[in-house]
Amino acid sequence: MSAGLLATSPGGDVLVAAIVVPVIGILLLWLVRPRAVEWVALAALLANLGVAVAVLRTVSSSAAPVAYLIGGWQPPLGLALRADGIAAVFMAMAATVLVPVAIYARGAFGAPGERRPMVFWTMLLAITAALNLIFCGQDLFNLYVALELLTFAAVPLVSLDGSRETLKAALRYLVFALAGSVLYLLGVAIIYGAYGTLDLIGLASIRGPDGALLLAIGVMTAGLAAKTALFPLHLWLPPAHAGAPPAASAVLSALVVKGSFFIALRLWFDLLPPERAVAGSTLLGVFGAAAVIIGSAMALRQARLKLLVAYSTVAQLGYLFLVFPLGLGSGAAPFESTAWTAGALQLMAHAFAKAAMFMAAGLVYEAIGHDRIAEFRGLGRIAPLTVLTMTLASISLMGLPPSGGFSAKWLMLTAAFGEGAWWWVLVIAAGGLLAAGYVFRILVPAFTPPEEPIARVKPVVVRREAAALALAVIAILIGFLPLAPWPLLAIGRIAAGAP
Amino acid sequence: MPDAALSPFAPLLLALASLFPLALLALTLAAPGFRPRLATLLWLAPLPGLMAAVFAQGAIVSLPTPLALGLMLDRPGALLLGSAALIWCAAGIAAPAWWGEKLRSLPYQAWWLATLAGSMTVFIAADVVTFYLAFSLVSLAGYGLVTRDGTVAALKAGRVYFALAVTGEAFLLSGFVLLALGAGGETRIAAIVAALPSAPRMAPALVLVLLGLAAKLGLVPLHLWMPPSYGAAPYPAAAVLSGAAVKAGVIGLVRFLPYATPTETLGIALAAAGFFSAFFGVAIGLTQRHPKHVLAYSSISQMGVIAAVAGLSLAAGRAAGPTEIAFYGLHHVFAKGGLFLALAALSMTGNRGRAALLWPAAIVALGIAGLPLTGGALAKLAIKDALGSGWAKTLGSLSAVASTVLMLHFLTLATVMRSRDASAVAPVALRAAWWGTALASLALPWLLFPSVGGSLAATVAPQALYELGWPILAGGALFALLRLWRNRPSLPPGDILAIIRTGEPWLARLSNGVAAIEGFLTDWTVAGAVLLLLALALAGAML
Repeated sequence: MSAGLLATSPGGDVLVAAIVVPVIGILLLWLVRPRAVEWVALAALLANLGVAVAVLRTVSSSAAPVAYLIGGWQPPLGLALRADGIAAVFMAMAATVLVPVAIYARGAFGAPGERRPMVFWTMLLAITAALNLIFCGQDLFNLYVALELLTFAAVPLVSLDGSRETLKAALRYLVFALAGSVLYLLGVAIIYGAYGTLDLIGLASIRGPDGALLLAIGVMTAGLAAKTALFPLHLWLPPAHAGAPPAASAVLSALVVKGSFFIALRLWFDLLPPERAVAGSTLLGVFGAAAVIIGSAMALRQARLKLLVAYSTVAQLGYLFLVFPLGLGSGAAPFESTAWTAGALQLMAHAFAKAAMFMAAGLVYEAIGHDRIAEFRGLGRIAPLTVLTMTLASISLMGLPPSGGFSAKWLMLTAAFGEGAWWWVLVIAAGGLLAAGYVFRILVPAFTPPEEPIARVKPVVVRREAAALALAVIAILIGFLPLAPWPLLAIGRIAAGAP
Repeated sequence: MPDAALSPFAPLLLALASLFPLALLALTLAAPGFRPRLATLLWLAPLPGLMAAVFAQGAIVSLPTPLALGLMLDRPGALLLGSAALIWCAAGIAAPAWWGEKLRSLPYQAWWLATLAGSMTVFIAADVVTFYLAFSLVSLAGYGLVTRDGTVAALKAGRVYFALAVTGEAFLLSGFVLLALGAGGETRIAAIVAALPSAPRMAPALVLVLLGLAAKLGLVPLHLWMPPSYGAAPYPAAAVLSGAAVKAGVIGLVRFLPYATPTETLGIALAAAGFFSAFFGVAIGLTQRHPKHVLAYSSISQMGVIAAVAGLSLAAGRAAGPTEIAFYGLHHVFAKGGLFLALAALSMTGNRGRAALLWPAAIVALGIAGLPLTGGALAKLAIKDALGSGWAKTLGSLSAVASTVLMLHFLTLATVMRSRDASAVAPVALRAAWWGTALASLALPWLLFPSVGGSLAATVAPQALYELGWPILAGGALFALLRLWRNRPSLPPGDILAIIRTGEPWLARLSNGVAAIEGFLTDWTVAGAVLLLLALALAGAML
């Protein structure tokens, strides 16, 4: 059979719900009374979590991807949604992060009916829809639309408080993300010109190592790297993520940058002929390594917690790009490789730990009125739950067991050693040391009792502390999954069936 | 033997050894009202570990399959677990006497219990992940004990401690991953070590693991942290760090080296590194002016001896190696931990009752050098076979001579330690903790020596007395000569650390350099150009 033929699989309509639920949520936000906005958004996110879990269960129980053809039309004429193993896992991950974020953000943006809460909740649901579309999208142009939706929903979150600084940061983000979009669109145009189709499955079945495809993937990857803030294209990330309100920073750092990364992953693992991947993937790995080292070194220098955490994101995103050389280098089935699972674990562990970290940073700011690390003494006494959250998230970020960060590091080291690639081992080890250093800078003063009792500016709300703590606990719990490649993540990869 | 009559409660006991301190940690975190009482009950926390060491040898705890965590206890593990539990217990009795009210606060109790939990678990970890977890816990939580006084010097020492701890862990983790890979993804230590001889990258894996352990053991040049840390740590903390926490490195030598297969090159290299540390520690220790620093250098020296014995056993393929190392380690737990407690008692004592503290200290200190009939003599006899009869035996005897000199140096400094208040008497808890530990260091090796295959009759044979005795006499003579040398050099604790510290401005320059690069790259025009170049480079790389 042609790999291009898709059919709606049993239970496939749940994929439509993944897109429709957040969209309906947005519409309802504008219909209900201002007071109910938060609750509608929270309900939509909970429904979205239910949908994501249903998709994950269907995929894992049938060990096959779930697909839905909109209107029953075959691609390339019609539109297809398809969730394979990794898409289902990431959908569930994103949905799980979003619920505690929403619980945390409730009431954080002033009185109902103002501009800020409306913008925040609308954009949060738009991000949800965009991410689901990215994870299930099957068509390069569809993915482009989802990517743009993601960017345009993320930028307003950066400048939510409307200050000069954050407007500047948002503008920077916007311009750079648009440059990335242009490159991505250029690649789409090249592929359409050469192949006449943008459907990923169709493309994978007719692809060959021809110049147009390679050029297109190269250009698109650069664009996606800009949106993912791969070093040295990260200039927009620290000011944007450090300037946004904490709930927004959590979503931006944990999820939004992963959207563009996911598309890059699909291009390289599904579309690119493996024999052509070696040099390019090494290049991506080198940039990732530079991100790990320089991002961590910059995090070590920061005087403010939010900037430190933002630079830590630059570094942690660097690890993700090591998946390209490690997963594509061996030549053997990349989806069953250790590196593939390592990358997915790193992405998830970072999502949970970083969301928790940004939310905790926000709570710290509220509790003591600033986030200057040098003046953290006594924090443990004022906000013990928040310090516990930071500790658990830090354990995952620096890769201590048991945590998702540890499992990812372990599997990534296994992949690197398995290929005899000692230089990546050095990068991973050095990154771990530097991470230990910046985590040390935060936690030691926080644990140190104050010389004189320090003033609490505002009491911390336990509900919000608990939301952040829940995310950190999940980052730790991921560490109890087996230290081996997950079969679930290999389900339904296109290239596995393609020539 | 315990294996035959293993009680059904043995696995529970094993689990409690690591969970009980964690439960108390949770309690002190959650229930502030309990802290004043817990301060006087800290000595209870290691008791499940002690009971496990006595009653649960041979027990295994494994969690259901997706969780790859497990515990097990064998004889070398039991020797170290039991002795570590005892020194934690003794220090737990001494701690309220030393710290008083302070011990009622959360940081004191939390760091103490977290370090204790790691210290107990590392001896019973059955798989590399649990081992790494426990090893990290005892190392990183130890930071809190080192810096407990909060002085500038303590924080400075703490930074060095932390830096070397995480460096060692990075080595250890890389080594563990490589070991697991060589065993086909297996994480159980027994399976990994069984697969080692046929594993493709055994040598690099073991070198990485050994580097990680060396940082914990304080083998030169990874010893930098030890003298400043023990110097900065309050006495009860120094006692558990030097007595118990360091043994995480010893259990690593026991667990991960394939003693069943002779591994010549690696074994000899380890032995050479160990002997170097053994003599280096003494040489630098003699330049120290504070008894705490002298004890730290003595630890460096003694851990060097243990590493040398491990290396020689590995080179010769001696299956008895792990037990002998653990037995030697057991004596060191009591001797070194005890001497720190003795210093604590001396520093709180004025003119009265000093002899009752100093004489046991003299016997225990010289026991480290192998004074005949002490527990230390049995420890030296236990490693006699490993040292053999050639150059290694000579080096072993010479290291005993060197240790004698260092311990005499320590004793002369210890006699000067006293309270400013001439009528002060150390609290009875503190003195009892010291005397109990001293007794353990003298008596327990006698009780346990037969069970590790030693013959008590041979220990009192004239031959053994001569072999153990002459290094003490020679050391005594050498020390008398050394005292004639009036202005001996005095080095800062951490020796080459002072040289490394001169590189700190360089580190700051490096950091500024990174910031300058970052500043350049985050310029709009540069970033735009980089974006285009990346697009071209990626396309070019694939074409």
